[in-house]
Amino acid sequence: MVFEELSGLKEHYLHCVRCGQCRSVCPVFEEVRNETAAPRSKVFLAHMLSSGELRTGPEAAAHFSRCILCQACTRECPSAVPVHKIILAARFMLARKHPSRIRGTIFREIWTRPALLNLAAGLIRCSQSLGLVKMGLACGLLPPGFSLPGRLPRQPALDSLPEITPAAGKATTRVGYFLGCSTNYLYPEIAGSTVSVLSQLGCEVVLPKSLKCCGLPLLESGELEPVAPMALYNLAAFKRLGVNTVFSDCASCTATLKELQAQQLFSGIEVLDLSGLLLELLDSYNSGMKALNRVATYHDPCHLAGAQGITLSPRQLLRRTGVEFREMKDAGNCCGGGGIFAIYHYDLSMKILNKKIASIEETGADIVATFCPTCVMQLRHGLAKHKGTIEVVHPVQLLAQSLILA
Amino acid sequence: MNSHRLAAELRKIFPGDRIITGELERRIYNYDSSFMARFHNYMPDAVVLPRSTAEVSATLRLASEHKIPVVPRGAGSGETCGCLAVRGGIVLDLSSWDTVEEVDVANMQVIARPGVVHYKLNKHLSEYGLFFPPDPGSTRMCTIGGMVANNSSGLRAVKYGTTEQYVLGLEVVLAGGQVIQTGGVKCKALKNVSGLNLTKLFVGSEGILGVITKVRLRVWPRPRARGIAMACFADLNEAPAAVLDVYRAGIMPSGIEVLDASAIRAINLYRPEINLPSSEAILLFEVDGNPASVEWEGRQISEILGKRAFSLEWATDPDRMADLWRGRSVVAVAAARLRPDGSRIFAGEDISVPLDKVTEALRKIKELSLKHEVPVVNYGHIGDGNVHTAPVINLNSPEEVGRANKLVDDIHRLSIELNGATTGEHGVGAVRNQYARDEHGEAVNIMRRIKEALDPDNIMNPGKLLPPEGDTGGV
Repeated sequence: MVFEELSGLKEHYLHCVRCGQCRSVCPVFEEVRNETAAPRSKVFLAHMLSSGELRTGPEAAAHFSRCILCQACTRECPSAVPVHKIILAARFMLARKHPSRIRGTIFREIWTRPALLNLAAGLIRCSQSLGLVKMGLACGLLPPGFSLPGRLPRQPALDSLPEITPAAGKATTRVGYFLGCSTNYLYPEIAGSTVSVLSQLGCEVVLPKSLKCCGLPLLESGELEPVAPMALYNLAAFKRLGVNTVFSDCASCTATLKELQAQQLFSGIEVLDLSGLLLELLDSYNSGMKALNRVATYHDPCHLAGAQGITLSPRQLLRRTGVEFREMKDAGNCCGGGGIFAIYHYDLSMKILNKKIASIEETGADIVATFCPTCVMQLRHGLAKHKGTIEVVHPVQLLAQSLILA
Repeated sequence: MNSHRLAAELRKIFPGDRIITGELERRIYNYDSSFMARFHNYMPDAVVLPRSTAEVSATLRLASEHKIPVVPRGAGSGETCGCLAVRGGIVLDLSSWDTVEEVDVANMQVIARPGVVHYKLNKHLSEYGLFFPPDPGSTRMCTIGGMVANNSSGLRAVKYGTTEQYVLGLEVVLAGGQVIQTGGVKCKALKNVSGLNLTKLFVGSEGILGVITKVRLRVWPRPRARGIAMACFADLNEAPAAVLDVYRAGIMPSGIEVLDASAIRAINLYRPEINLPSSEAILLFEVDGNPASVEWEGRQISEILGKRAFSLEWATDPDRMADLWRGRSVVAVAAARLRPDGSRIFAGEDISVPLDKVTEALRKIKELSLKHEVPVVNYGHIGDGNVHTAPVINLNSPEEVGRANKLVDDIHRLSIELNGATTGEHGVGAVRNQYARDEHGEAVNIMRRIKEALDPDNIMNPGKLLPPEGDTGGV
């Protein structure tokens, strides 16, 4: 996440000594296996872009688009170069120099307006019902990445959830729910579980009906300008409802909100980690919970484990539901999703996903849980392709089962 | 041969997804870690990614026929422009050819293709209770082919030596495409003194004699235990003396690392939580072996160091060891913290001096740093006299870049003056070949004749290792 011009990051890309350590952690490099996919190559080209040595154009744009933004390179870099920020800034520069009508319409016009986004989701749903999407995919009119979301539910979460959900018992705390686009449009059942679990654990849940996107898809696409106004708009929406703390069930949204805070665009409000919040609430929950007779494993979303360093609490949360927990190999490796990456680079995304699916299957678990709805989408897609029977869930869904069954 | 024709010819050898001819992508092959690469455009005419000896051989036949330079490349983690196409030509990116062909446990050896990454090899070998001891800092990305071509070593060279001690045999493709086996065509023996030792000739030859396509390595049983001692000294001179004391006690640690005051300050600025004691020098000793021997050696080392150090710690707990080692591992990045506008550069970073001249080398590098007004951080493998210097400069200042180049030149010349070498483990490439005559004298002429015999058209990685053209050395 970044709100800086490429030129503003000059000191950072000068720090890159091109040692190549980023090659050892980049999921894209692992598949492409040549230097053009190494994260340091993007830092190198960003430097050239900034100095004017490299022409802006489709070739450069294609190069910078080949990154999931999992941030593994940034974490690994011995020279502390914020590689993902440099890539985002390069995308911004390229998008500004070469505006695209389609990209502009999608991200500036539709994604910034909830009503239009609702309409677009409705149109996609209709097209799916009429078989048009399937047909488009079959005859190659639509890129294969369009098959990722599966069938959109009839109703977004926001339509069925109230603005204020009172605590089931005596309210101990009041929290704002930042409902992200993926949960809202793809997995309203996750949103339902989130609200009911928090309510049962003694929270009053405040869900502003007028929320906009956190801005991550825009940042990823280089369409930077609307992000700050959207952040301020969302902040005002929470403040109007008197909310001081906000959480999200989406790791990407939470990571973006924290970055917005760092940029003074989401100030005066605390962004909570949902897994930590739930553990805290469970500690003072007096009613019983039923142990789930399931075997579960956990996939670390890049935007939770990598971007926020949260790995322990989601696992503790799963264990609290009584499931038999089995750690998968390389749980922190990216699943290849990354939002728009999987649409632009579907084949590459699937190669990365295949490794993750193999790790999941190796555990013998019948459930894989993850704290990110985009990862849920990617893992469900991968397991369906592998004809696997493993269920992909958000931890709150298991918690909801455990609490309701008690 | 023009680039279109070259691409067409290469397409006869390689599938499309293993040839790179686009300008933007070729530009990416314009760098390694070296300071020098930042200021030059060494774009190759084409890049190919071989995955068989036949592909390498066919490429070299083509290159030989048309006298096109060929540059082998591993992970591009080197610091000498060794893998860069300084005269254009074809870059052979061997890093995707990463098969471990055989782990021969009964014969304590492994056969690997050049692109196998060092840490992945050791991860694989650990399943058999074995390891390949040389331990470069670039373990996570450097390739076995690159290690052999540069005769790399690293933190544990003091006990385990350098790569050359483990190479039993090689498959090499020569300039005309001929494929040879060194170390015996069918040999699986650990000892072999028959014939001239061509294996040793190719190890460290930096790609100027041929392309290494297969490596037979000796491997060792994995040690069962480790321990680390950290000692802090009020006087820099005490550090090499303490190392000598440990050697005299009959102990051979697996690693001995030194951090001078500048390195300690830089680490504390970068990661205050590491909180290294403020001192003139810190030594880290690592010992490995079986649990009883490690414990015994740890006690002995502590006793010896206690006589000179003002602070001492012995650790066998894995977390604590990781903490102690962390100080050493972050120093490369920490160096840049000495100044807000600074970037660490890899230049003059790898001199090697006799053990009894380490203190002098460190003192003189400090003086040179003051003379040229370029801050440096010193650290390194004190156990074998390999001093790493990290100049930290403002890359935006051409004047400062100029001063850094002068400093680096002085550091290289200092190493020769102190009866040492301009490089202990990083290699020569295009950045240190200018010192070859001073270092090797008449022997350079023999090196040239060997090169000419194996590569008469000078297509194999030209412009590297040997002195630049024009140097006749009075011959």
